[in-house]
Order: sequence, then structure tokens, then C-alpha cells
Amino acid sequence: MWKRLLGPDLRREWYLIRMPDGPMKDYYRKPIPWPETDYKELEFLCIDLELTGLNPQKDEILSIGFAPIVNQNVVLSESAHYLVKPSHALPEDSVIVHGLTDDRLAEAEPLEEILPHVLLALSGRVLLAHHAPIEIGFLNAACERIYGYPLLTRAVDTLELEKRNRQQRNQPIDGGVLRLAKAREGYNLPRYRAHNALVDAVASGELFLAQLAHKAAKGEQITLREIMFRNK
Amino acid sequence: MDIELIEIRDFLKIHHPFDLLPEEALETLPKAIEVRYARRGTVLFEPGEENKFLWVVRTGAIETLDPDGNLLARLSEGECFGVRAIMRGVAVNRCEAIEDSLLYLLPVEEFNNLRDNHPQFAFFFAPLGGERLRSAQAHSKGGTNEDMGLVSTKVRDMIRRAGPVTIAPTVSIQEAAGVMSKEGVSCLLITDQDKIVGIVTDKDLRNRVVAKGYDIARPLSDIMTANPICIDAEDYLFDAMLLMSQKNIRHLPVIDGGQTTGVITNTNIVQKQSTSMVFLVGDIYKRETIEGLQEVVKQVPTMVMNLVNGGATAHNIGHVVSTVTDAIARRLLQMAEEKLGTAPIPYAWIVMGSEARHEQTALSDQDNGIILDDSYDEATHGDYFRTLAKFVCDGLNACGYVYCPGDVMATNDKWRVTLHGWKSYFSRWIDTPEPEALMLSSIFFDMRALHGDESLYEELRKYVIEKSTGNRIFLSFMAGNALSHQPPLGFFKNFVLIRGGEHNHTFDLKHNGVVPIIDLARTYSLDVGLSEINTEDRLKAAVEQKVISQDGANDLLDALEFISITRLRHQAKQIQNGEKADNFMAPENMSHFERNHLKDAFNVVKTMQSALASAYT
Repeated sequence: MWKRLLGPDLRREWYLIRMPDGPMKDYYRKPIPWPETDYKELEFLCIDLELTGLNPQKDEILSIGFAPIVNQNVVLSESAHYLVKPSHALPEDSVIVHGLTDDRLAEAEPLEEILPHVLLALSGRVLLAHHAPIEIGFLNAACERIYGYPLLTRAVDTLELEKRNRQQRNQPIDGGVLRLAKAREGYNLPRYRAHNALVDAVASGELFLAQLAHKAAKGEQITLREIMFRNK
Repeated sequence: MDIELIEIRDFLKIHHPFDLLPEEALETLPKAIEVRYARRGTVLFEPGEENKFLWVVRTGAIETLDPDGNLLARLSEGECFGVRAIMRGVAVNRCEAIEDSLLYLLPVEEFNNLRDNHPQFAFFFAPLGGERLRSAQAHSKGGTNEDMGLVSTKVRDMIRRAGPVTIAPTVSIQEAAGVMSKEGVSCLLITDQDKIVGIVTDKDLRNRVVAKGYDIARPLSDIMTANPICIDAEDYLFDAMLLMSQKNIRHLPVIDGGQTTGVITNTNIVQKQSTSMVFLVGDIYKRETIEGLQEVVKQVPTMVMNLVNGGATAHNIGHVVSTVTDAIARRLLQMAEEKLGTAPIPYAWIVMGSEARHEQTALSDQDNGIILDDSYDEATHGDYFRTLAKFVCDGLNACGYVYCPGDVMATNDKWRVTLHGWKSYFSRWIDTPEPEALMLSSIFFDMRALHGDESLYEELRKYVIEKSTGNRIFLSFMAGNALSHQPPLGFFKNFVLIRGGEHNHTFDLKHNGVVPIIDLARTYSLDVGLSEINTEDRLKAAVEQKVISQDGANDLLDALEFISITRLRHQAKQIQNGEKADNFMAPENMSHFERNHLKDAFNVVKTMQSALASAYT
């Protein structure tokens, strides 16, 4: 209960004192982006996960793709894509959805090996995803399981942003218009045919840049708080 | 493992110049890229700002504007910009998104890296504008052709010896023959106080000495050909060959800056591959009838096609084709004079337009006229020149140089007048530049004497130059006229195409491509009173007179060459397919490469047009 009252920034300080050295502690060495900062001064990490299902407690991460946004550019030189070795054989339906086969995943590494890379890239940055609760939920569960600590972060959800924008303009939000590919169309962003975690991460990053370029048209400042995802 | 960025790789792979990169480079390239989104109206960089990227348009559209706000380029999907700013360190122009755009940014280090390792890629960006066009020309050029050597090689380049073998006129024939055999030459130049007075060749020794049992102790001056025909070192080998074939001689002394620097021989040229084209022209002078001339002219389209396919430049081809036309007209004039007798008073036959500029590329309309000596008397001389003009113009028409639709021909009483008459025409055109005068100006300010008394033409030319040089009012009208033909760029993202009619969805490579450049060159040339007529010569001379910058002129020349050769290739293809050659090209029939470079070329013209506009209007 006290944890909720304190907020992530103080809890981070507390973790830094308590926590043993390791990837999780390294993650907390940089402050969590402060909500009152202008978004232009912040760095983001666009993340997309491919999963076996939607339940963070039960389902598994199959692949992780990420790319940072620095100075409002998606920087591909710092992008990465990892295939995660699942602890169980894959259920059939996720094979169909993602085109990932057991064979290919056999080349993958276990999540324990990959998570440090993700945490390093995310440290000090705002997590960005299209439908962020999934990414937040799964990464948090992974950190809890592997390091015994939660992943405190601030995040932006491009789906949520799109929904808010559309509601403000009294535009319909049904018929799949909030889906990544559909949402992108509205901003003259290209249609990507290939789908993997990295392409989708980059795609959500591009969508975010477009959303904010439209929002900030008058040149006024936009703080993280205004665009931040709020977990209910 | 870069397979994840396959979308970006696949995109770059199909766009020039990235398509020139090998597979491995394309695989790793996406990793170097930064992606930016620019909302419509976003300024990406302003003049003076630093630019550290090569920008590629992924979606949307970008405009490049010069500091005065003139539009330089509109870039659409797959096109690059920011190169000039990279090269100079700071941006020169302003770049603005005119649509919501997604942009790929390639950091300058990576860009340099690619240029260092992939020459083809570097070539594309190699110094800008003009240079890039030049490399484009090299890229798109086929093999070389021997025909080309003749039109691109200057006489000067063919002289191998340090100097010609010369001898005094007083030396005996026997001694001279000894010198020839010792030096291993087929001819001797006879000089008197460094001035060339004669020439003696192997053939002369055989025909004039041995065969006739002439006394070999006699001085050389007895048997030499006095005052031989010479050629200027600046002339093309093609001209030398023509002259030899025309005069039926085998040796031509070469004059370079008043000095005799060597001799060019028939064998020199045969070594350089004698060609059908040269014989074609030589042949013209041997024909006795109009039917005979027709037969020769029939070969012109094929000749042009071969030259184009052989990789000749448009400049060279223009020179060759105009020379054929000149030869036909000269031969007809000779025939007319044979028939009608020598002209009763001096006259000059003048040609106008593309032939005058040496830029004819196909059989086209005839544009000609006659300057009559001021002693002309209609009652006594009228019939002679009327008949002469009719004979020549009819003959040209029969050969395929059809009557001028605007009736600019020597058969028109208006264009067959005395020197005084011509002067008053030009005086009126220059003093009161009315629309009609401006229309005519593009024809009459490109003029050259072809036959007869050249001094008449020279006097007219001097008069025109005096009147027009620095004449601001006249020049501003000329400049306005020069801006009336615009390159077919301007509609957002694409070429401006002709809509409807026979030439639907094409653009006119002549009127919107070549003509604007010719008009620009003419205006500059009139401003500073240049005597050059050929567009390339005009631009080069204009640089010396400092009315146009070296860079500007180079860019224009490259644009001219690229547009012209594209037009010629288009026509060659039509001829090959048995179609009638025209100037209308459809963008969908062009390669991505051609499209890009044509856009470059048109942009150069646009830029230079706005420079002209600000200088004269």
C-alpha cells in the first residue's frame, strides 16, 4: 500500500539502496522520465512484443523488438530484435499468427539473456508501445520473475493517444481504426507488409512522431503528463 | 539478422541511387538510418543551417527553395535531398515538407562511407548538378563509336610530330626528295621567312616530276602547290576530312595561332576510322542532280540513329547533321550558279535557326535568306536572285528540308533584300521589340553565312551587335521571351504533361526542354555582343564575359546535353521501330534513372531562368 502512495520516483530511489547489483539495478540508475518534461527533451523506447497469448502470468514472450526515439528521430542504429526461447512448446494458434516456428525459436536465447539488453535500452527512457498495457504487463512480469522487482516506468500508448485524439475530434473509434496499420494511414505513413516485433516497434514510433507533430502544430510545449499512459 | 528491417531495405533497393549498391551494403544500410516525421509546412532546414544527413523521402513530398523563395525542386517518394548542404557544410537552400512526410535520414558519416566504398553510388552524388548530370551521361552512354572520334577530336590532337618538315622554295627537287625520304614524310611544307608558301607531296613528285621527266635540279618552287589550303588546329577532325574530300586533297597544313604546326594527312584520318558519315558529306559535292542529292539525304536518319546508338554526344550529332544540311544547300547553290551564271552583284546566302547554330538533329524545315549588295537594282538583278532562290529552296524541299511554314525563306521577297534592308529590319526589331519581332528574333538572331560574299553578313552582324549590346530595353524583352518556354516541371511531384490530343500524357522535349536553354544562351550572348552562334559556344563565351557564372554555364551545358541526348535517343528508338520521330516523350516510357536526371536537368534550367529574370526584367 505504501508503495502506491510513494510513486515510482521515490520507489526507484528506495530500490537503488536495497537492490543487489545487476541489470535491474542498472536500469534504475537513471531517473524515470519526469512527467512535467517537454516531450521533445525526452527519449523514448518503442517496444513491441510477440506473444503466445495475452495473459502475462501464463503466456510467453516469443520475440522482442525495440528502437529508441532520440531528438524526435527513430534511431535504427540502436534498434534490436531478439527471438526468445520459450520454456514450453508453442501452442498452435500463435504459430499461425506470428509465423514463428519451433525450429526458428530453437535458435533463440532464453528471456534471461535478453532482458538485460531491453532494460539497458529502456533505462532513462519512456516506454512507447501501441497498446502499451501488454508490453508493460509482460515486461513487468518478466522482471518480477527473473529479478524479483517490478519494472517501474512511464509509458506512452499510441493506441490510447489515437483514441483520445479521435474522441476530441468526435471521430468514430470503431471498425479497427485504432489498429496500428489503420492509425498510420491517417498520417500518410507507409504501409508495412512485413510484421515482426521490430517493424511494429518502429511503426509505432513513427506513428507517435506523427501524432505529436500534429498535436504540437502550434509550437507549444507538450509535457509527458499530457500524453502519458495511465494504468487504471 | 538485419532481416527485421527488410521494409526499409526493400524500399531503398528499388530507388536510385541505392539500387546501385550491392546486396551486402543494402542489408546493413537500414541500421544506419534515423526516421523522422515532418508535418506539412515543417521547415527541415534553412539556408545557413548545418545539415548532417542525406535525406530520403519515404512518403510525402518536400520542396527545395532558394533563398529568394524560388522553387528549385519538388521531391517525392524515393528521392534524396540535402546533398548540397552536406558538401558545403551548411544548407544553401530551404527545405520544407509540403505534405505530411516520413523521412529517412542517413548520417553523413555513413553517407561518406558508402561513397568511399561504392564508386557507382559516389558517382551519382559526385559534385552536384552539372557534374552529376555529366556522370549520368557517362552512365547511360553506350559503347564508343569511331564516328564519334572524328567529331570530338580536334585537329590539334592529331598532330604527332614536334613540327612539320619545312624547306625553302629555292632547294632543288632532288634535294627535297632526299629530305622526304630521310624524314619519312609524304609531304614537305615550303616556307619563306616562316610563312607557308607551298606544299609538295609524294604524288606531286610522281605526277609532276617523274612522269614528265622534269629536271630534278630545278628549284622546288617550280612544282609545288602554291598557297595551299590549310586548316585551323581548333577545327574538328571531321572538318579536316570534309575539306580534303571536298577539295580532293590528301594533305592539310595545320595552322595554330598563325603558326604552321603540322600537317594532317588522309592516312591520319583513315587510321582514325573513316566512316560512312564523312563519305556521305563528301558524296554530296559529287552529285550532279537533285535526285542524286535526295539519295544522299535519305541516309541521314539512319546516320543519326547510328551515332546515337554509338554514344555520340548531342553536340556532336548537331554538328554533323548541320554540316550535311550545309553541304546540300551549298551544292544546290553551286548548281544554281552553274545554271544561271555568276551572280551579277555580290550576295550572301544565309541560314538561320538550328542549322545556323549547328544544332540540327534531323531533317527539319528550312530557314534561309539572302543578303544582297546595296548596289542591287530590282529591274536588272531581280530575276536572277528570284530564280536562284527558287531553285535552291525547291531543291531543299525536294531533299526533305521542307518549306518553312513561317515562310522564312529566300524565296520570300521580304527575306531577300539588300544589306541596308536587313539593317533596317534589325534596327526595327531591336528598337521596337513587338511580339512579332520577338517571335522572329529566335530565328534571325541565330544567323550564319553559308555561301557567297561573307563580308555582307559580317557587316550585318557587326551592326546587330552594336545595336543590341547592353541595350537594356531590348534585352529585357528578349529575356521575357526566353522565359516564355518553361521546363515541364512545376506540378507537384511530377512532370507537367500535355493533356489530351495526339500527345496526351507526354511532354515536349524540344519546346520545354532544349528551347529554353537556347533562348537563355542567346539572351546572354546578345547582351555582351558575342559573335558565337552555337549554344555551347555562346555559354562558354558568356562565362568569359562574366555575364554567367562558370558553374551556371556548366550546369546549363550539362542540362542541354542530357535533354538533347534523351530526345535523340527517343527519336532513334522511334526510327528503329519504323515510327516517325517526334519530340514528345511519355514519362512512363523512361527509366527511373532518366526521369530523375531529366528532373535535375529541368531544375537547372528553372534556376537559370530565374537568374535571368532577376538580371534583365
